[in-house]
Amino acid sequence: MTTHEPPRRQVIQAAPRRPSDRSVSPGTDDLYQPDAYGRELLSSLMRAQAGVSLAVLVPAISLLALYPLLAVLLPSLAGYEVLGLPLTLLILGGGIYPPLVLLGYWYVRRAERLEQRFVELLKEQ
Amino acid sequence: MTEPATIAAIAVVTVVTAVISVRGVRIARTPADFMVAARQVPSFLNASAISGEYLSAASFLGIAGLAMLEGLGALWYAVGYAAGYLVLLVAVAAPLRRFGAYTIPDFAEGRLESPVLRRAATGIVLLICGFYLLPQLKGAGLTLQVALGGPEWIGVIVLGVLVTLGIASGGMKGITFVQAFQYWLKITALAIPAIFLVMFLHHPPIGSIGSAAPHSFDQRTTIEFPASEQLTVGGSVRITAVGQVDGRTRDGALTLAKGTHDVAPGSTLTFPAGTSAPRVESNPIPSEKEWTSPLLHLGGQPIHTLAATYGILLATVLGAMGLPHILVRFYTNRDGQAARRTTAFVLLLLGCFYIFPAVFAVLGRLEAPGLYVSGQTDSVVLVLPKLASAGIVGTALGALVAAGAFAAFLSTSSGLLISMAGAISHDIMDRGVRSFRVAALVIGVVMTILGVFALGISINVLVGWAFAIAASTFCPLLLLGIWWRRLTWIGALGGLALGGGASSLAVILTMAGVGKTGWPAVLLGEPAIWTVPLSFTTMVVLSLATPRALPNDVVAKLLALHLPERVRPPSPRRPELSPLLPPISPARVPSPQVAVPRGGGIDSDT
Repeated sequence: MTTHEPPRRQVIQAAPRRPSDRSVSPGTDDLYQPDAYGRELLSSLMRAQAGVSLAVLVPAISLLALYPLLAVLLPSLAGYEVLGLPLTLLILGGGIYPPLVLLGYWYVRRAERLEQRFVELLKEQ
Repeated sequence: MTEPATIAAIAVVTVVTAVISVRGVRIARTPADFMVAARQVPSFLNASAISGEYLSAASFLGIAGLAMLEGLGALWYAVGYAAGYLVLLVAVAAPLRRFGAYTIPDFAEGRLESPVLRRAATGIVLLICGFYLLPQLKGAGLTLQVALGGPEWIGVIVLGVLVTLGIASGGMKGITFVQAFQYWLKITALAIPAIFLVMFLHHPPIGSIGSAAPHSFDQRTTIEFPASEQLTVGGSVRITAVGQVDGRTRDGALTLAKGTHDVAPGSTLTFPAGTSAPRVESNPIPSEKEWTSPLLHLGGQPIHTLAATYGILLATVLGAMGLPHILVRFYTNRDGQAARRTTAFVLLLLGCFYIFPAVFAVLGRLEAPGLYVSGQTDSVVLVLPKLASAGIVGTALGALVAAGAFAAFLSTSSGLLISMAGAISHDIMDRGVRSFRVAALVIGVVMTILGVFALGISINVLVGWAFAIAASTFCPLLLLGIWWRRLTWIGALGGLALGGGASSLAVILTMAGVGKTGWPAVLLGEPAIWTVPLSFTTMVVLSLATPRALPNDVVAKLLALHLPERVRPPSPRRPELSPLLPPISPARVPSPQVAVPRGGGIDSDT
């Protein structure tokens, strides 16, 4: 080890970059850095997207699960007729689809807006 | 019973399908074209194609028949089939498209870097598609039998040969247009007869939809009994009988006294107009209360019916995302956003379609009690137009419905056969166009032969099982693979094995006749209610126990799944579909988003 030259000295003029020094928005490259900062960016994107998904799934699942449960708790429910048609026919034969389609439409808009914001955040750099 | 109009309608559907396919062949030159139609399909066309591929024999014939037979609770199948696309939309569509995997085996290997997992996924693809293909063939047999008479296996062979030749020569570019065309054909073929029947049928007042007895024959009705049957008549009826009744051979007029009578298999009874329908012991017409209940009639206790209903919902809602032939189509979207829009359109198209099976179920209950008597409620959609109006209108509507039904089998079978041939040629053979064609031919022949032997099993039951297996295997793999960074290949493999094994075992036990009442009937008949949680739990627990099996660059893989295309770094290494390259999986040819992390930490850019 002693035969080696002493380590070359070098003056660094720029201030070292640290995550805390960031004054501007994150850029695309940051996402690919395997440090805590890149992971945090990814996590926040995934959390936001999962949040929108859950905001659709929870009402949709409640909608599907509720009617069978009510029918067991209140057996007379299935006997109701609206405009001469059984309630079950109105719900399962068509009425349940518009809310599901609207939830889907709402999700597409929310998800696209969320991604737009994320893209803008990265490109502001 | 041969009807030229019906034969002509089926022939037209087949010829139009063939023409569109052949026009597609000119464009389909490469394996990549064959597999994913070169990613140039606009959202609405793609949504029509997905719906066309998805709406199978179960949707076109099975749901209406089952809802007529057992009650409106069977419409949960339709609701679940459609609602599955909402889950697919919010949890799977965009990430899967962004990841760039063509198939579930591609996804499994690309995300978790395990060739073993890939092979397991390929096996499950073959299992699910096989279970799903048999009822399509059976549906074709039923349709040709109702239209033309003769044995059921003729339709099985006709469909098997058509689809096999179509796939082996056409590929998927053609099929995209074919499937889109077939969605519109199918909804037209149900909507026009349904609207006509509702408007022009002199059915009983709407208020009596649910009421059970007395159901009477509006017109002279001839019923064939395929199996031996016990009939109970409320008062003496004068009928015409050919065959054995109460142990004596008859051929001519016969008066059935009030009471119960035995009818031998193969007998034909003709009831004059105005007589009330007899009660059939094996297939009693459900009472109004039973029929309008929103629960499935499995087991006796309310808690059993609730569990069975939830089991169906779980299987159909979560199974939709695990159907291999549907997921391939998502790669034909331009990007993740297009995949979302396509899925939302699919939800809309399915919601519109599933109104009509309900209409047919109600009309069948009101107008065709003979189907309860003969046990052929599965054919209500095919039979009703002819029962409702004699003459040219009835014939034309009957032909239209038969053509739509045939379109349903053609399109779904094509998609399934492509997936199976793709899986085999890609994972077992050398991945070229030639091996894809050979695999399609071999599987087509094998499945057609199996289809002839599986004629005895009901359409809905087989499709239900395919969904239950998909929900217990690919659904947890996709959801956890996309949203949970700690999934390992060992965990995924364990979940696939336990979930797939348990649901398949339940299917086999049910086929063998184990568990006819109570909890065993619910848990074996609708296994998804426990096999889906089992599969999820296994994947999570095993993954947490094997952190060393994590792939090296989980963050990069999650970025590939979730990062919008617009913010991905441009890279010369982006894999284009080259003419001689088979489908690319991210694991084999690293796409830029997967390969990016190089160099050290944040200060490596000197």
